Amino acid sequence: MIRLKAYLPLLVLFCALQTGSAQDLASFEKRVQVKTLPNGLTVLLLQRPQAPVFSFFTVVDAGDAQDPTGKTGLAHMMEHMAFKGTNNIGTTDITAETAALVKVEQAYADYDRENNRVVNHDEKKVAELKAAWEKARQDADQYVVKNEFGEIIERNGGVGLNASTGLDSTQYFYSLPANRLELWAYLESERFLHPVMREFYKERDVVMEERRMRTDSTPTGRLVEQFLSAAYDGSPYHRPGIGYMSDLQHFSATDAANFFKTYYVPSNMALAVVGDLDADKTFAVIERYFGRIPSGPKPEEYITAQTKQNSERTVLLRDPSQPFYVEGYQRPNFRDKDDPVYSVISSVMSDGRTSRLYRTLVRDKKIAVAAAGFSGFPGDKYRNLYAFYAVPSQDHTATEMATAIHEVVEKLKSDGVTPDELKMVKTRSKASLLRSLANNQGLAINLAENQMKYGDWRELFRRIDKIDAVTNEDVKRVANEVFVETNRTVGILETNKSTAKGAQQ
Amino acid sequence: MKTKSLIAVVSTALLLGSMYAQEATRNDATKHETAPKPAPTTTPGVATNWKQIGIPTLPPFKPQEPRRVVFPNGMVVFLTENHELPLISGSAMVRGGAASEPANKTGLVELYGATWRTGGTTKLSGDQLDDYLEARAAKVETGGGEENTSISFNCLKADFNDVLGIFVDLLRNPAFREDKLALAKKQMNSSISRRNDETEDIASMQQDILGYGKKSAYALVPEYATVATVTHEDMLQWHKQHTTPNNIIFGIVGDFDSKQMEATLRKAFGDWPKGEKVPDAKVVVEPEKPGIYIVDKTDVNQSEIRMISLGIVRKNPDYYALQVMNEIFGGGFSSRLFSNLRTKAGLAYSVSGAVGSGWDHQGLTVLEIGTKTETTTEAIKGLWEQVDLLKKEAPTELELKRAKDAILNSFIFNFDTPAKVLREQQTYEFYGYPRDFLEQYRSGVEKVTAADVLRVANKYVHKEDLKVLVVGNASEFGKQLSSLGSVTPIDITIPTPEAKASSTKAPGNTADGKAAIAKFVEALGGANKVNAVKTLHQMVSLQQQGMEIKIDQSIVYPDKQMQKMTTPQGEMTRVVTPSAAFIAMGAQVRDLPPSRRSFETASLKRDFLNVLQHTNDSKYTFSASGKEKIGEAEATVVDVDADGAKSQWWIGPDGKLLQEAFSEAGEAGPTTLTMKYSDWKSFEGLQYPTKFEMVNGEQSMGKMTLTSMEINPTVDPKLFERPTQAQ
Repeated sequence: MIRLKAYLPLLVLFCALQTGSAQDLASFEKRVQVKTLPNGLTVLLLQRPQAPVFSFFTVVDAGDAQDPTGKTGLAHMMEHMAFKGTNNIGTTDITAETAALVKVEQAYADYDRENNRVVNHDEKKVAELKAAWEKARQDADQYVVKNEFGEIIERNGGVGLNASTGLDSTQYFYSLPANRLELWAYLESERFLHPVMREFYKERDVVMEERRMRTDSTPTGRLVEQFLSAAYDGSPYHRPGIGYMSDLQHFSATDAANFFKTYYVPSNMALAVVGDLDADKTFAVIERYFGRIPSGPKPEEYITAQTKQNSERTVLLRDPSQPFYVEGYQRPNFRDKDDPVYSVISSVMSDGRTSRLYRTLVRDKKIAVAAAGFSGFPGDKYRNLYAFYAVPSQDHTATEMATAIHEVVEKLKSDGVTPDELKMVKTRSKASLLRSLANNQGLAINLAENQMKYGDWRELFRRIDKIDAVTNEDVKRVANEVFVETNRTVGILETNKSTAKGAQQ
Repeated sequence: MKTKSLIAVVSTALLLGSMYAQEATRNDATKHETAPKPAPTTTPGVATNWKQIGIPTLPPFKPQEPRRVVFPNGMVVFLTENHELPLISGSAMVRGGAASEPANKTGLVELYGATWRTGGTTKLSGDQLDDYLEARAAKVETGGGEENTSISFNCLKADFNDVLGIFVDLLRNPAFREDKLALAKKQMNSSISRRNDETEDIASMQQDILGYGKKSAYALVPEYATVATVTHEDMLQWHKQHTTPNNIIFGIVGDFDSKQMEATLRKAFGDWPKGEKVPDAKVVVEPEKPGIYIVDKTDVNQSEIRMISLGIVRKNPDYYALQVMNEIFGGGFSSRLFSNLRTKAGLAYSVSGAVGSGWDHQGLTVLEIGTKTETTTEAIKGLWEQVDLLKKEAPTELELKRAKDAILNSFIFNFDTPAKVLREQQTYEFYGYPRDFLEQYRSGVEKVTAADVLRVANKYVHKEDLKVLVVGNASEFGKQLSSLGSVTPIDITIPTPEAKASSTKAPGNTADGKAAIAKFVEALGGANKVNAVKTLHQMVSLQQQGMEIKIDQSIVYPDKQMQKMTTPQGEMTRVVTPSAAFIAMGAQVRDLPPSRRSFETASLKRDFLNVLQHTNDSKYTFSASGKEKIGEAEATVVDVDADGAKSQWWIGPDGKLLQEAFSEAGEAGPTTLTMKYSDWKSFEGLQYPTKFEMVNGEQSMGKMTLTSMEINPTVDPKLFERPTQAQ
């Protein structure tokens, strides 16, 4: 399991960076403990006794890529529902409430079926069924204690309370004073042990507002949605993570509960806790509480694979907005052996004022205000895009961005990177890891994510060695394989002047 | 921040994760005393109800206070040792910021903040600094803020001496190189051009204007004209006047010995002479009148609503009670706004509200909600209802307790890292707050009662004072809103960059420019023909998007124009004169918005006959800037300044005008439009084009054909009078 050889050079490296500090990586590593509970849940613990507080990060290995067809946005909806409480948080009478919620689901299914009926669609009947559904919701709502789950956390000094859903995974996190450990273990285990799908349809309205805010009402949001749907086919990455509006108006609490049953199983989750905690006591508490979550099989991991691209695709959006340019090239998933090579490319292309894109497009040509390249658009678990974007300066067009980016990319393909650049990237990756070690929440994120993705949190450190091993030849080889026209999707946002003018009248 | 970082815009756009909440900020360590309910335990050692779980006493924790040292030259230094990792970082707050920059140079401090670092030092250019620092994975960055500017660094301990050298050099010998100032100005102009793209940006800018008043430095934003006035000299001057040791509060934290570090810093800064004390900024605060204000944005399906009034200064003794009130009202997952408007009503994803507080001036009280266009009015009423409720009844004991618990139990997160404590201490020092302000805050909050909350709600929240701002699709919610009161539209047109043409090209006349114009006059039939035109009456057919519009146009030179347009939808008359500018459609008459009026006035000034009648007027200049191919013809390019109305003319080899380019302000930033002229014909000896095409980049905006023209007809002066509106 633990390949000592792989991280020995790392220790050497950090010792070199160190000049006699009492803290070093070796001691850091000694403080991380990993346990897999009998139900399959992987738990990581890192003691960091700087102040009597702790942070945690739970990651579920399922995101909107797992949304069933016709129910896009369901993983994200489930994440919202994980704030709605349990069978004894957020309710005045769970027995009566459960019965009422069953009725809501029956009424909704009747309404939804009638509403979607194409032949013999009867508006009157739809209206009646809708009224019945709304009545059932009102009935169920009488038992609800609003936002009690979040309130308990807040009253106990919780900060940074939130959760997020990506295409690849869903995550939950916050920080608490260290004396709230047992309360935390209770709340977070109950959350996944006895969730209740209350107030589902109001929360669905909230999510629709989130969609309007992030996608519909912003020019770049609209572009990105269309860009991704053009870049991918087959792969679930072609669908918006937030969900299509019609799916948001269709899926049900039963759908969310089914999603939960399938994917929120301990074997599909990892939990990291970092802070001023006693290791033995903490593991004991975690085992007592989280050990209650019933085990379940690791869910089906198959998804339709993205087909390899064979011609350039373009999305052109004309909007009352200043221009924007993005392009993406298909690359393999994050487990690919060349993954560190892409990191090196991103760093050389995008990091700081010495980066090639900044120097060429912003500093020298003065045609852009920002430009960068990055991997993993919109996720990295499956075949994904290496993307470049540029924000044109005033009076410059998206097309000029494309030309300039291609110039920089072609130079990378022919000449690769300089020894100085390579050295700079390597120094930077070591320093940035070091900087990430002084933050409970950041560490919890890194430990849980690396454990989930690679099956071993040590990848966080091994990554540095892998980046260290990248050569100029690697960079040239990967750039020549991937950055080719037939493998490219282009997204252009162009100012629609007639609309912009009309808007002013 | 006066202009939004574009990188922030992009990263938001490309960031795809959806979150449960947009933001939730909270501020710790007492026991909660809810009576435990005995309940049966199903698993040994596992509580069946959260109320059963005991909360042990939090171990005593005293954050490490930084050591404060004052150097003889007045520089205040805070030092905090933190040996967890081999890193050192530091930051200096320098007194004086955008609040005290001259209004006609708005943007100066932000440009200073950018160019301070990128412009390098007298020894090394900014680019050289980039290479030097990046090779060490170190950062030195500068910035300009409202009340202060700042410079910070972050490096591995091993590189400290190298990085400190750069840091000190930038503080003492910055160069503000011209090329980097030009780049920063270009970036700032680009931000200006993008400021109407996103609802959020529009709302934030208008929020400050409504809250502090359009003349207030807290609301002023850079414009093309103000950016153009900022010079290299301004940078040097600002630095000399502000960035002196007695105006600096410096904090440093990391893996060092505090005594040794103090000695190092004394050596680096000890011989730096004192400067003048920076005077306090005198900022005008004249909030706009309460009412409903709308900004029309046609490409959205969600309305961003803000309710705005002045808040308090943090020194105010009511600060503690207001923080508790804010927590109850709009802070976090269990607040009234979140529970009622989001959870219960499903009206919004994003909702919040708080009486704002500033360190040295009144913050803004802002209530915010983003809701679909159809529920705009409902959301406004929902916020109003919550304001009424807040003022009518004291919070329940339970609400009060929840809010105080949330603040006090999370209190430790204010000082759980040495860097946070350091930053707090620097801030207190900067604004003249006591060093134990955080402790005062804790005891202040502990004492707050339900009656205090009701009292401060009535003292600081006034519905009748609130400016209600709605940014959204006005054509769809406009009618709804008028039921709430009178509605004032806000014109967000970005003022055209007047100085833009002249900043890149030499102003005034050039011999080539005058010669090309003289040739143009000759090509039209000579000066006598040109100067004889006093009035024109034209019939024009405009083809636009497959639709024909007939235009009946009368011009009285130099400054009156009437256009009657007949469209399939009806007839519309537009009149622009020095005394009036309006559009009449049926019985409806409305004034042109100011930006449109100035555009139309400038268009008339730019009319080529009008310009050619002023070739000897000193307010009119013609400057040739070279030759350019237009199709097959080699054209002379002339920059024309017609008494402030600027355009660029391409004059062909035959002397006739081929095309004209001019700038038009617009919601999506200024646009360069080009008018192409062709098919010149003689009208009583005067050559005049009969085909026109307006082009925007590659896109044709419409083609016009002159079907008839009368020179010097009698024009009825009544045509230009504004009809009295019959309601």
